[in-house]
Amino acid sequence: MSNFVNLSLFENYQKYIDNEQEMREKIRVIVREIEQLAKEATIQLQVIHYDLEKIGYACAGARKQISACAESYKKLAELIPVGQYYRYSDHWTFITQRLVFLIAMVVYLEAGFLVTRETVAELLELKTNQAEGFHLDIEDYLMGILQMASELSRFATNSVTMGDYDRPLNISRFMADLNAGFRLLNLKNDGLRKRFDALKYDVKKIEEVVYDISIRGLRNGAVEEAAAVPPTAEAVANNDSPPNADNKTE
Amino acid sequence: MPGNNGRHHQFKKNFKKDRPLIDENNPVLKAFQAYAIELDAKHDRYERIVKMSRDITIESKRIIFLLHSIDIRKNNKQKVLDEAQTRLEKVITCNFKAIAEELHDHDPYQFRGAYSPGLQEFIEAYTFMEYIKYVENEEDSNQGEMIDWNGLQKKMTYPAGEDNADQSNSVEKSFFVDPNEYILGVSDLTGELMRRCINSLGSGETDTCLSCCKALQKFYTGYFSINVRRCRELSRKIYTMRQSVLKAENVCYNVKVRGGEAAKWGAMFDGKSIGDDIDEGFF
Repeated sequence: MSNFVNLSLFENYQKYIDNEQEMREKIRVIVREIEQLAKEATIQLQVIHYDLEKIGYACAGARKQISACAESYKKLAELIPVGQYYRYSDHWTFITQRLVFLIAMVVYLEAGFLVTRETVAELLELKTNQAEGFHLDIEDYLMGILQMASELSRFATNSVTMGDYDRPLNISRFMADLNAGFRLLNLKNDGLRKRFDALKYDVKKIEEVVYDISIRGLRNGAVEEAAAVPPTAEAVANNDSPPNADNKTE
Repeated sequence: MPGNNGRHHQFKKNFKKDRPLIDENNPVLKAFQAYAIELDAKHDRYERIVKMSRDITIESKRIIFLLHSIDIRKNNKQKVLDEAQTRLEKVITCNFKAIAEELHDHDPYQFRGAYSPGLQEFIEAYTFMEYIKYVENEEDSNQGEMIDWNGLQKKMTYPAGEDNADQSNSVEKSFFVDPNEYILGVSDLTGELMRRCINSLGSGETDTCLSCCKALQKFYTGYFSINVRRCRELSRKIYTMRQSVLKAENVCYNVKVRGGEAAKWGAMFDGKSIGDDIDEGFF
């Protein structure tokens, strides 16, 4: 009988995957910590949908959880060997996206602008450049931003319910920017692309809210209104034209 | 609070190559423009590697086909084996080197999906060549052992070139051989061994049938012993492997029971039932 097939090969492979499993267990423990913190932050942010007064308070609370996450990310960064980020990244992509969403939401509520990838990375103590170590993946960042868009469309409707008619207009303008931004990307037929396709429904939802407010003159000083409307109308037109990403699909 | 600073009304035109015109004062658009560049770079690299991988797959399939053409009646074994070996070496020194260069300073796991089909097919071809070289060698049989992933890794490490003028060539580069890919690639080898076993029955080389079957059984034992959780790809391959082992064992049974007449019988029956799934649908 030949010794061509050496069974020790399989033993070695078993050792290799056992090591990998061990590593994955360790990662799972840390990721669970982050998940718990993110969950608490999400719960705190839910208050914005029924009490506008508490937005500032909710944001401060969420920030605390977020900065606690940075600790866990530091542990992850120490655990993962250089150049093996994507070997294990499936464990944390989901939760990282969630955190991007939370941070983006907090920053928008506090300051009204879109959080940059650099700021998110800084808050979580991650790098933005892959070569520098444990980093914030660009696609995770973008996915998180898209999640925020959905939450904002919900927030727009709820702010109207609570009698804040100015907020949806601001959100609408913000979303128009966001939409224009995403249109600059050449997306492949992947998860990000699919998630981006849902953005137009969020935009549409907000446009409807703005329309309802404008047509009924619910905003204070409805006369000056006309000046604020054009960007919105422009965004609508933009939305109706064939999405330019479609040209890129094969 | 969200503010409206009227920045939407200011448009400054700026011409950048291949990029749409954007409002330079809009920080969102500016940021996204940078993201677009980064994403494009990643996608382009991925596509380039997919292309290279496809070339490797095609060449590997051709080499496997070539190795199957070894026939005792044609007495072409050494010639075919030499050609296959040269071509495989060429794949290592050209195609894999190109991917190694593409992946240099990048996380190989990020592009796993791009090169994995080519790598697996190559491993299948390489180990098949080794099998024929080592096991079916009349003069000096049983002289070698199948290469493992470390051996392959050594072959796919490309030392820095002496030519210092060429910057891209001045560091050592290597193509990372993932043990997972190796194990998946070798599992495909069993399909080739099964084919070899049945074809040999057709040409009357009953010894080859028996040795193929033995190797298959050993592979099956080895794979059976691996305990992997949540790897559907591997368990599917092990299932296919079981089918191959059963077919080969059936051939050996016929060899034993019918002796000399088995050759004729096998050529009529087994060869046909197998013929349908010979190609994995690449061509």
